[in-house]
Amino acid sequence: MSEYNRVVIPIGPQHPSLKEPGCFTVTLDGEKIVDVVVGIGYNHRGLEKACESRNYIQIIYLLERICGICSHTHTTAFCQGVEELAGISIPRRAAYIRVIVAEIERLHSHLLWLGVAAHEIGFDTMFMYAWRDREAVLDILAAVGGNRVNYGINTIGGVRRDIDDSLRQDILKMTDALQEQVKYYQELALTETTLAARLAGIGKLSGEDALKYGAVGPVIRASGIDFDIRAVDPYAVYAEIPFKVITDTHADVFGRTVVRILELLESIEIIRFCIKNMPDGDIVTKAPRRIPAGEVISRTEAPRGEDIHYIRSNGTERPDRVRVRAPSEANWHAMRHMLLGQYLADAPITIAAIDPCFSCTDRAIVINSGRETELMDWPRLRQYSIDWYKKRGIDVASIKIPERRMYF
Amino acid sequence: MQTEEAIIHKLAEKFSILKDKLYVQRSKRIISEFLTREEFEQVLPYLRDKMGFYRASHVVGTDEGEDLGFIYLLTNDEGIILALKEKAPKSDPKISSLSGDYPSLEFHERELVSLFGAEVEGLPAGPSYPLPDGWPEGNYPLRKEWNPEYFDQNTMTYNPPIDDKEKEGGKK
Amino acid sequence: MVQADTLWKVMAEQAMIINYSRGDNALSLLKKAIAWGTRKSPWIIHFNAGSCNGCDIEIVDALTPRFDLERLGILQRGTPRHADVLVCTGAVTLQTKDRLKQIYDQMPEPKFVIATGTCACSGGVFNGCYCVMGGIDSVIPVDVYIPGCAVRPEAIISAVAKLLGALEAQQKGGGKDADRRSDHSQVSREIQYFKG
Repeated sequence: MSEYNRVVIPIGPQHPSLKEPGCFTVTLDGEKIVDVVVGIGYNHRGLEKACESRNYIQIIYLLERICGICSHTHTTAFCQGVEELAGISIPRRAAYIRVIVAEIERLHSHLLWLGVAAHEIGFDTMFMYAWRDREAVLDILAAVGGNRVNYGINTIGGVRRDIDDSLRQDILKMTDALQEQVKYYQELALTETTLAARLAGIGKLSGEDALKYGAVGPVIRASGIDFDIRAVDPYAVYAEIPFKVITDTHADVFGRTVVRILELLESIEIIRFCIKNMPDGDIVTKAPRRIPAGEVISRTEAPRGEDIHYIRSNGTERPDRVRVRAPSEANWHAMRHMLLGQYLADAPITIAAIDPCFSCTDRAIVINSGRETELMDWPRLRQYSIDWYKKRGIDVASIKIPERRMYF
Repeated sequence: MQTEEAIIHKLAEKFSILKDKLYVQRSKRIISEFLTREEFEQVLPYLRDKMGFYRASHVVGTDEGEDLGFIYLLTNDEGIILALKEKAPKSDPKISSLSGDYPSLEFHERELVSLFGAEVEGLPAGPSYPLPDGWPEGNYPLRKEWNPEYFDQNTMTYNPPIDDKEKEGGKK
Repeated sequence: MVQADTLWKVMAEQAMIINYSRGDNALSLLKKAIAWGTRKSPWIIHFNAGSCNGCDIEIVDALTPRFDLERLGILQRGTPRHADVLVCTGAVTLQTKDRLKQIYDQMPEPKFVIATGTCACSGGVFNGCYCVMGGIDSVIPVDVYIPGCAVRPEAIISAVAKLLGALEAQQKGGGKDADRRSDHSQVSREIQYFKG
C-alpha cells in the first residue's frame, strides 16, 4: 500500500483503557501497525532535581512516591545504596522484613496486572476476581505498614516497623487462601482455550530481541532468559532463600501471563520461608546523617523488573546526584518493537503486557520515533475519507444529510 | 565465568589508556574513571564485541562542574555492571549516540539532550521529549547552576537574579 | 414532542424535585431531570495529572468487588463528554496542565471536580519540583478535596456521597434550578471540605 493509505491515530493522553496519561501515535497500514511513537512525559515532575535539595531521609519518602505500585522497591534500592555508601550493614531481621514486604508487594502488583490484562481483553470476571483477592494482600500491607499503598517500611539502616507473631500468622493465613486462588488462575490460564487463543502469538519478542532492546522482568523471562536480579546480583537476604527463577518460552503475552502467575506462587513460597526463618533481633541500626563521598549502583528486582539506582554523595547531608532507572523505562523499547506489525486491536493488551508504569518512567522522559509521520487535522481527515470513497465510486459529499431535528 | 579482576586485567592489557582507570567497587561492579570521547570510542566496541558487554542498562548524566559526565552502565550475561564514564566540556558537550548498537539507550540519550544540554551526534530525529511543550530553550534543569526556584511555572520562564545572570551569561 | 414531555414529567415527579407551577415548560423540566440524574447516578471520569499511581489504583479499587462504587449508581466513563464528575489525581505537571483544562472544558454542565489525594489537593511532596504547578485547584476549580497518601477507597466513596448530599441540599433549598452555578467557586464555598 502506498504512503497515502496510511492512517495516523493518536491515542491518549486521557486514555480509555489505561489509568495513566500516555500518548501513543499509531500509524496504520490497513489494520496493521507500521509505526508507533510513544509520547510520555505527562508525569514528568522533576524528581531528580528535587532530590538534590533534600536530605537522605526526606528522599526516601519522595522516592516512595515515584510509583504507588512498586513503592517499596524504589526505597529498598535507594536505602541499600546509601547503606553501602555509609558502610553500614543492616540487622538480619530487617533484611528479612524487607524481603517479606517486597514479596507481598509483588503479589499485589502481579494480581493488579492480572486484573488489568483481563480487562484489556474483555474478561471482566477475571478482573474482578483478581482485584478481590488483591484486597486481602492490601489488608496485610496495611497491617504491616499502616497504609495500603505507600507503606513507608524502609529507612536508612533498616526498617521502621517490625512484623510480630500475630501478624506473621495473619500473613500465613493470607498466603494459604491466596495460593488456592492463584492455583485456580494457573489452571484457568493454562487450560481455558479462549484465554490462550486471545493471548498466544500476541506481542512476540524473541530472546535475542529482548536482550537487544534491554527488556527486563517478566517480559525478558517470558522470552526464555533467566534474568532476575534476585538471583543474578542477590541483595538483602535473597542469597539464602531457595527459589526458582520462573521462565517461559512462549515469548508472547501468553508467556508473560504464565510467568506472572507462577511468580505469584513462588513469591508465596518465599514469604513462607522468610516467616519461618526470620531471626530475632533489632530492626534498625544507627545511620549517619552525612553520608561519606562516593558513588554506588544499587539494583533490585521490582515486580516489573530490574530497578537501578545510581547515587552519588559528596559528603554532605544531601546527595550530589540520584538517578533512577525504573523497570518500565527499560521495557518501552521492547514494547515498541512488539507493536510493529501487529493489529491495532491487539495494541491495548500488548501495551498492558509489559505492565507499564508511566509515573516510574517519567521522572525522565521518553519519546521514540522510527520515521517522521504527519498528523492530520480534522478537515484534512474528512477530505481524505471523501477522496477514499470517491475512488471506490461513492460520492459521500453529494449525500444530503437531513437537518437535525430539534426536540426541545 | 570471568571474575571482575580478570576483566580489568584483560582490558588494561589491551588498552594502555585504561591502566589504573578501572577498579572493582564490589562484586559485580566495575567502575571506570572519566575518559575522553576518543578514549571512550576506542574502548567501547571491544567491550561490546569481545568482552560480552552487549547490553546497556542505562546512561546517567552528571554535572562535573566545567564538564558534563556520562556514565554508561553496561551489563554482561553474568550480571556484572561496568560503569564506563565519558566526559565532555560544557562549552562543547558533544558525544556520539550509541543507540545504533544499544537500542535500549535511545530514550536515555534524548533525556541527556533535554536535561543536560548534551549534543548527541547520530541520535535519530524524534519529537519533543522529556520536558513539556513550550519549555524555554537553553534551560537544562539538571545542570547544577540551574536553580528551580528561579523558574516560573506559569510563564515558563527562567528568571535568575541579576548577579546570577551575569555569571551565567557565557553559559547560556 | 408529547412523548418526551411526558417522559420528563414522570421522571421529574419521581424525583420529587419539582412543584408544578405555570412557568414550568419542557426546558426547565429537562434541567430538573438532569439535576436529578446527576444526583442519583453521577458518572465519573478519571484523569491522572501527574500522580504516582497510588491514588489511581485506589480509584479503580473503589469500583471492584469489595467497595463496589457502581452499586451507588456511580459509573466510570471513558470520555469527558459523558461525565458529571472529574476525579483528578496527582500534582499538575506542566505537560498535563493544558490537557486537564481541555478535559474540564469538554465536560457538560453541571460539572464537578474532586481532587483525590494530597498531591491533588496541594502538590504534596512534589511541591517545588520544576515541572509541577501545584494542586489541581491551580488550574481548574475544585469542589471536593480528599487528602491522604494514598487516599483510601472508603474516603473516595465518602467524598462522592458528600458531594451528592451537598448538591441535593443546594437543589432543594437553594432554588429550583440546578444550573445556577455559573460561577463554579460559589459551589466550592457551599460544599464543605471533606476531611479524610
